[in-house]
Amino acid sequence: MAEKDEDVEFKKEMVRKLLSSFFTEDKTKISGDAVLLMAEMLKVFVQEAAVRSIKQAGSEDCDTVDIEHFEKILPQLFLDF
Amino acid sequence: MSTEEEALHQRLRASVHYTVGRLCQKVGEDHRREFSRHVIAAIAETTFRQCEIFAKDLEAFARHAKRSTVSPEDVKLAARRSTALLKFIQMKSEALNQEQRDLKKNTGKRKS
Repeated sequence: MAEKDEDVEFKKEMVRKLLSSFFTEDKTKISGDAVLLMAEMLKVFVQEAAVRSIKQAGSEDCDTVDIEHFEKILPQLFLDF
Repeated sequence: MSTEEEALHQRLRASVHYTVGRLCQKVGEDHRREFSRHVIAAIAETTFRQCEIFAKDLEAFARHAKRSTVSPEDVKLAARRSTALLKFIQMKSEALNQEQRDLKKNTGKRKS
């Protein structure tokens, strides 16, 4: 059976609730477009974390990507975001 | 934090974890590698915490521009640290604007 190539996304309403829950003022809102852009940004964040962790695991000749690989790429990830 | 807020955050955490898991699965398939459950949980938790940083930055940018609604311009500012990321977000923003322009054009045509 052919694999359904569905694009995995962060759902718009979930991202809106997530960001809004961290706003410090009641009056702060976020536009629909900004939510969509943030959903994209979060997706990139996760993909970068995943790909960099894989590369780190690869450079250490490990088959499975484990916590220490992720921890090693974390500092640069934070610097880039 | 009230119990209501805590419950909301728990649900949001679970939601993030689910999407992160699926994204990691895809990336793993593309590279023929597997992620341990611990790593996926760690990436999910990190993403969740990064959202708090993003949200507070976005709120500060909007406030600085004397707005109470966070706009795409604020998101672009949040993406400034990496040129590639900034370009990507600008591209997505342009695509959204184009979509809206096309929508308006079509709506205009239908009006008699």
